[in-house]
Amino acid sequence: MRRPWGVLALSVVAVSAASAFISLQGPPPSPPPSGDPVQPIAFPHNTHAGQFRIDCQYCHFSAERSLSAGIPPVESCMGCHTVIQGRNRPEEVNKLREYWNRGEPIPWVRIYKVADHVRFPHMRHVSPQGGNLDCSECHGAVEEIEVIRGVAQPLTMGWCVDCHRKKEASVDCTVCHY
Amino acid sequence: MSEGIRRRDFLKVVGAGGAGATVLGCSTQKIERLLPYVVADEEITPGVATWYTSVCGECPAGCGVLVRTREGRVVKVEGNPQHPISKGALCPRGYASVQGLYDPDRLRTPLLKEGGGFRPLSWDEAETLLAQKMAEGGRTLFLTGRLGPSMEALVEALASSVQGQRVEYESLSEAPLREATRLAFGVDDLPTYHLDQARLIYSFGADFLETWLSPVAYHRAFARMAGVDDHASKGRLVWLAPRLSLTGQNADEWVPLKPGSEAAVALAMAHVIARARGNAGPYQAVLDAYPPARAESLAGVPAAVVESLAERFLEEGPSLALGPGVAGHHRHATGANLAVHVLNWVAGNVGRTLSLGQKDQAAPSRPFRDLQEALAAMPGVGVVVVMGTNPAYSLPPSAGFRQAFASAGFRVAFATGLDETSALCDLILPDRHFLEAWGDSAPRPGVFALQQPAMQPVPLFDSKQAGDVLLSVALRLGKDLGGVTFYDFLRRRWQGVAAEAGHGGPFEDFWREALRKGVVEIETRPTQESPGLRPPEASVSFEPPDLEGAGEFALLVYPSPRFGDGRQANRPWLQELPDPVSKMTWHSWVELNPRAGERLGLRNGDMVVLRSSYGQVEVPVWLYPGIREDVVALAMGGGHEEFGRFAKGKGVNPMVLLPTVLDEVSGTLSKVVVRVSLEPTGVRRLLATTEGSADQRGRPIAPAVSLAALTGGGDKGHGKGHHPDLRELQGKGGFVPVPTEGRPEDFPLEGSRYGEYDPEEKPRWAMVLDLDRCTGCSACVTACQSENNVPWVGEEQVMRGREMHWIRMERYYEAVDASHPGPVDIRFLPMLCQHCGNAPCEPVCPVYAAYHTPEGLNAQVYNRCVGTRYCANNCPYKVRVFNWFTFTDVPEPMNWAYNPDVTVRSSGVMEKCSFCVHRIREAQNRARLEGRRPLQDGEVVTACQQSCPAEAIVFGNIRDPRSRVSQLARNGRAYRVLDEHINTQPAVIYLKKVTFHEAPEGEH
Repeated sequence: MRRPWGVLALSVVAVSAASAFISLQGPPPSPPPSGDPVQPIAFPHNTHAGQFRIDCQYCHFSAERSLSAGIPPVESCMGCHTVIQGRNRPEEVNKLREYWNRGEPIPWVRIYKVADHVRFPHMRHVSPQGGNLDCSECHGAVEEIEVIRGVAQPLTMGWCVDCHRKKEASVDCTVCHY
Repeated sequence: MSEGIRRRDFLKVVGAGGAGATVLGCSTQKIERLLPYVVADEEITPGVATWYTSVCGECPAGCGVLVRTREGRVVKVEGNPQHPISKGALCPRGYASVQGLYDPDRLRTPLLKEGGGFRPLSWDEAETLLAQKMAEGGRTLFLTGRLGPSMEALVEALASSVQGQRVEYESLSEAPLREATRLAFGVDDLPTYHLDQARLIYSFGADFLETWLSPVAYHRAFARMAGVDDHASKGRLVWLAPRLSLTGQNADEWVPLKPGSEAAVALAMAHVIARARGNAGPYQAVLDAYPPARAESLAGVPAAVVESLAERFLEEGPSLALGPGVAGHHRHATGANLAVHVLNWVAGNVGRTLSLGQKDQAAPSRPFRDLQEALAAMPGVGVVVVMGTNPAYSLPPSAGFRQAFASAGFRVAFATGLDETSALCDLILPDRHFLEAWGDSAPRPGVFALQQPAMQPVPLFDSKQAGDVLLSVALRLGKDLGGVTFYDFLRRRWQGVAAEAGHGGPFEDFWREALRKGVVEIETRPTQESPGLRPPEASVSFEPPDLEGAGEFALLVYPSPRFGDGRQANRPWLQELPDPVSKMTWHSWVELNPRAGERLGLRNGDMVVLRSSYGQVEVPVWLYPGIREDVVALAMGGGHEEFGRFAKGKGVNPMVLLPTVLDEVSGTLSKVVVRVSLEPTGVRRLLATTEGSADQRGRPIAPAVSLAALTGGGDKGHGKGHHPDLRELQGKGGFVPVPTEGRPEDFPLEGSRYGEYDPEEKPRWAMVLDLDRCTGCSACVTACQSENNVPWVGEEQVMRGREMHWIRMERYYEAVDASHPGPVDIRFLPMLCQHCGNAPCEPVCPVYAAYHTPEGLNAQVYNRCVGTRYCANNCPYKVRVFNWFTFTDVPEPMNWAYNPDVTVRSSGVMEKCSFCVHRIREAQNRARLEGRRPLQDGEVVTACQQSCPAEAIVFGNIRDPRSRVSQLARNGRAYRVLDEHINTQPAVIYLKKVTFHEAPEGEH
């Protein structure tokens, strides 16, 4: 955990502890840009989730039972793309096959990320016994987006807490921070 | 190769996992990559831990372990509750084994000595070279430590196929005990002791809580015997040795014998018992020679004390006497163990509290003489292969190992890191760590366990399992030993285990079940009835040995509870684990009685030169009342010349002071053999100690209650007494009185500023620690460190008081006197965050980083913390620790050991015990997914609770009147530290230690 916020807050506290308190009460920092969104393969979410209505959890297989939603193994992609060449961008499917043939993982660029001091359990939000939320509540209308280049929601603590309040979920710090 | 490995294969994307657990921090600029598996692994779900059973390889005791892996990498080792040896617990060395796996100084490739250094070579070259050297002629000698049964069988098979020889050398061998058992009862093996069935134990220096035979198993048995039960009854331990080890500190009485006089005292007691019962058997003449008066002159123990000890041994039974361990090995060590056997026999304990023919197969019992003979024949040896033993370090230089070893034709070592012995070798072959390798153990008859790889080998190290290498070399020599890989070899041998277990179905089912459960137990024949005592042999002497040299002090060299004989010295968790006796970290110390220190004008930290006729070491003094005035003691395990950055140059190796003197009967290397002089250098150093004070100074931190008071109902317990009115600081300023009776389950109070919640539904977490069971072993400290990503800080920072442990094992002397036999009362208290209901740390935090959760946790929110340290200053328990630097930037691949469920902290952040809140959340998440709530009692287990071999820790919801924790909180021994004085209302409740003697003044 390298925390630029901590350094920032430390310099603030040099002025006065009280102002540090106020600064943390103020508006949240803008969400971190997610870096270079150029993905190794121009994977179209709209084709898969929209046009073909593939369930999110067909690929993101562990969202209902794990902290992590799961990134599909290359094998999963090949389950269909061994036979499906794709009409729109066949060259992108070829890239997939090359990764598969080389036995290499696809180095996807991470778009959605919460800070290292946050524990976000997917299963508590997505599973029917948990929050039973739709993926789109946080990830937006993925089925309409061709290439995901940025986050649909700010992923800030204020945004999390708003929803926790609305759904009457706990807003205790140690629900997420430990 | 094996299907088992392939299923866990994850194609070099090691650890990145489906979740892309790259630790780049929340830096805004870096691109983070998510690397999926190419082929999904059916056993791994990213974000969900996968557990494997295995066997701990840190000592030969063979504790069953459960290995926790996340995304294919090992993050924690815990005891396997189904395994009869560990029963869920481990010792600190077991918990620290993860650091051996991720040791940055592990060998990265096979090495060949060339010129003055080593050059890397490929495995194929290395194996070809080894096969060629073995074929060239000359005998091949395999010099091994204690191996698992299958590995031992393989080495034996290879040795015999090349007309070679295998010699076992372990520095902590109990050969005198084995030889004494053979001489006494005609059974050539170690006995098994049933500590839990005894009510009175006399230990003549057997440190069964530390390194003796099977410390974790004996730990549990001892806690069950010595912990007070519901009927206010408890067993008693009497310690008869010149120095209180950790085991001795747990005794109720101490008889500080002269070094080497155990046999005289044991025989004198047997004399008294035999006189009363008339059953000296063949030992009549021997016992006649050792009346109590003789013990008085030889051991310095008054004859009346010996008489009384002997009478109690008979009356307060079932009793059990345990022979001297390694620290007590001297020229007549077999005699000492034999004398203890005779004592047990005359008291009728054989077949009752100790059994024979129950082979304790795991503990090493081969004598040093085997190695000595092999060394004498070394010039004729063509190839010597060293495996799992480090004699260049653990033997005294006077044993001449280095010279003899140099005379062998070609020297080969299997090692995970470069140790002193492998540094002398021509060819070094990087072995797998036990968490990456196959193996097995058979710690007791009828108990078999498999050691399975819990992860793919750490890819930074091009290692290969020793068994695979030996089989490959055998094939190159044209020998078929029953397998191409060690996995095949192991499976073939386990078909025999399946047959013995009477398994009818397919072997594959048996194998899978053995791997799933982690142990196979086969009913064995009943314990042999008490065998007859054989007549004594003239060769065995019971006399105290003469010590060499003219120095003032007898030297004791004892196995370290942290490092054993030194083989775990390259683990920073263990280097920084405060020694359970001295509380010292990182460096060595010499223990000296304070009266001797006063006489010599020495204080803690004064550097002295200890000199014997064989060598000298320079080491700081630590004054310790638990050692006789005429004795000094040094721990093994320090002073490595090789062995990695964390061990090299830390402390001193006491073996340099010792001559090579054998106990002639068993052939064991003597440790109690010289006198040393102690010369002050005039230099003083700051000790890297975590000890604040060994004296409670009248404060009721670790109070005790006497057994008489407990049975007489004289102690009303604490937490029920009068409390001053509680006043709470309100957010707007000013104190407001709050009505409360001060019960732990009431905090935080309804309507307080700490928040409101539904009392029916929300738990209030609390912990009970039974100080009558706690032995101070410190397994919890290391388990917590592993679980919670607690950093180590190094010697320099410890000297500044910046150690970061979340649990501080406090140790207070109440009654310790080395000058005469009497009660000993040393109190242990694991001090962790007390999760106060009325916490002093909370109102002083300017940013609300320290606050109370609705579940009663005192939380520390790292991302809020700005590092004012006000909270630590205001904490009366001193349990908050501050990250003065980013201690968590550790050398690759040690960072792989981090628990991904707990934030890794960086500089400027305060931290402390969280009550394992991540485990609470994990249990809550699990309960929620399974559609059931609330949690059941016992569903949340903290890391310290899990680790405790003494079962001293209970955690749970104190609002549930049926939970174990709330039942124990109502125990008459319950109290909370300083609560009545400063009204902190802790959620940690201690149960007072119970003493046999009337508690001294200042008792609370």
